[in-house]
Amino acid sequence: MIKLIEKIEGEAKLNFNFKDEKIEFVDIEFMSTRNIENILKGKPAFDALVINPRVCGICGHAHLIATVKALESCYENLQISNKAKSLRELTLNFELIQNHFKWFYLTMMPLFGHKQEVLKATYPSQLMGKAIALFGGQYPHTSYAVVGGVVCDITEMDIIKLQHYIDKTVQFVEENLLKMDSKSFSTCKSVESVLKYEGDLPDILRQINAEELLEHGKSYDRFISFGESSYFKKGKSIKTRVNNNISIDNVKESEMATSFAKNVSYKDKYYEVGPLARAMVNKNQLILDAHKKYGDSIFSRIIARVCEISQLLLHSTKLIKELDLNEPSYIEPSINIKQLNASGYSAVEAARGTLIHKVEIENGIIKNYEIITPTQWNLSGGTREKMGVSQKAMIGLCDVKTAELVFKTFDVCSVCTTH
Amino acid sequence: MKMRVLWLSAIACNGNAHSFLNYPYIEQFLNDFEFIYHPIIDSAYSLEDIVSNQIPCDILLIEGAISKQFQRADISVVNIIKNYSKIVQKIVTVGTCATFGGIFRESDYENTSGLHFNQEQLLEDFQEIFEKTISLSGCPVHPEILVNTLYSIKKSANLKLDNFLRPKEFYAYTVHNGCTRNEYFEYKIDNHKFGELEGCMYYDHGCQAPYTHASCNKILWNEVNSKTRAGLTCMGCTEPTFPKQNLFETKKYGHS
Repeated sequence: MIKLIEKIEGEAKLNFNFKDEKIEFVDIEFMSTRNIENILKGKPAFDALVINPRVCGICGHAHLIATVKALESCYENLQISNKAKSLRELTLNFELIQNHFKWFYLTMMPLFGHKQEVLKATYPSQLMGKAIALFGGQYPHTSYAVVGGVVCDITEMDIIKLQHYIDKTVQFVEENLLKMDSKSFSTCKSVESVLKYEGDLPDILRQINAEELLEHGKSYDRFISFGESSYFKKGKSIKTRVNNNISIDNVKESEMATSFAKNVSYKDKYYEVGPLARAMVNKNQLILDAHKKYGDSIFSRIIARVCEISQLLLHSTKLIKELDLNEPSYIEPSINIKQLNASGYSAVEAARGTLIHKVEIENGIIKNYEIITPTQWNLSGGTREKMGVSQKAMIGLCDVKTAELVFKTFDVCSVCTTH
Repeated sequence: MKMRVLWLSAIACNGNAHSFLNYPYIEQFLNDFEFIYHPIIDSAYSLEDIVSNQIPCDILLIEGAISKQFQRADISVVNIIKNYSKIVQKIVTVGTCATFGGIFRESDYENTSGLHFNQEQLLEDFQEIFEKTISLSGCPVHPEILVNTLYSIKKSANLKLDNFLRPKEFYAYTVHNGCTRNEYFEYKIDNHKFGELEGCMYYDHGCQAPYTHASCNKILWNEVNSKTRAGLTCMGCTEPTFPKQNLFETKKYGHS
């Protein structure tokens, strides 16, 4: 049977094949693409800083940061101040956080039978939007990161405001998502210690247990993460065995006959990306405990994404304290882009996982541009013999409704997947 | 009584839908309006219900560029628009793509454009609904502009529109109005190297604020800032010409 999955920044069609009343195979079809890569060809390279945030309405900032880093990798000896690096990392953190709130409250909770509470999603995500706008001028769709740094010159007043936005968001988390002190939460090492508390997160986790969904959504138990920052590490984790020595050269993108979404593999194997993958590579103790008990299931995927909110808020506060406002925001490149014939790439961690941009420039004009989005790793279709990550996670389930829940735990974004 | 609104996404990035979620008084808005469909917010009808029926509706919002080839739930977006445009009081194009074609005018779909305009050119299709349409350009649209336009429709207020059907109360200004760098424009000081509080970006860095119709420096983004105040050039995203090329450069004539 074919089911249209909607409210995923667009739609996808899942064609379910049943055998003995269990899902035996799922064809995933994304029905449309805009082909931003073609739009970019022949354009002046810096214009990609304006066009690429328009890949996606919810993670456009990650596309901006991936673009600026890919362009910067085309230069030799380009200088970027630590201040500019930290500001880019902060605004990217804030985008991840706003996404996770929207996913949990707008997408996940209704799938567990709760009424959609729009304000619980919009209040904290608006605070994070303000935090980005403080530096970027607006959110969504800023282009404030440029080759050589960032365009804003921040002041002490900005820092005070920023810390207030973060503190109010922490307060929201502590009053709604998990009714405990965030600092204590950050040191929690076991699932049981989280389940003792009240809040929307433990409520959903308890519901997964009560409805006997704990074993649902398991896939290959292989994770990968390429975007390095002061918080995220690069590496792959096969079950819990972590290897930090991975190369982007082994990432392959292939066209699919039945869908506009190209699939992505590492050394010809499919890997899961996203908050669970990041936590596994980072060896986060709480998420390792969830994984030890419930594997790469919907339980682990949900707790990993929501936990990342608190972790990134705490880490952002640390980054702000270390900022040196006397450093320059922008250092002009010594070479004009029109003199550049080069190619480069970047990888950043977007809300849904690893985002890769590759660019080729001739005399400052884009000759070729490739974008590999997180949702391609998780959601693109494979064959019956070699299924994609989310396809495998849906096998063996008895009903389409649970399969939709499993599918959406990957935080599906149709516009990103097809771009 | 709540007004019923259909939010229809065409060839889009969903940026307008997310920008709308930044409206600070969304609770009040949802008391006064009901979405029969929205790309993110829960609604009483599924997309399949919407595209294959004609659910009673007062306002049709269109986000994204339009092509006959493009479908939602297997139905051409052009047919969905034709179906609903008959019954609604007003049609609002939300964003530059739906208004002029925008970035996705260059997507892979055939003859992609805005609803009534292909950039500045007025189109013949959809002329029968021209009088019903209000254009809200911007990439994305500011949520205050969208919400206040919807309240104006609810009040049956007579909005004055410009030649592109944009409400003058939001588009009679230029982005330059209210920019904190205005005096540097007046005195032609463009020593701007990005990342500095001083300097105007018009003379060297391609800022389009003096001739871009929008309220970015009147109604601040996310209630805190604007691109030009932050130190970024205005990209002219509310205009039919968006996106121009060489966005970070000012074209110079007559001398090297």
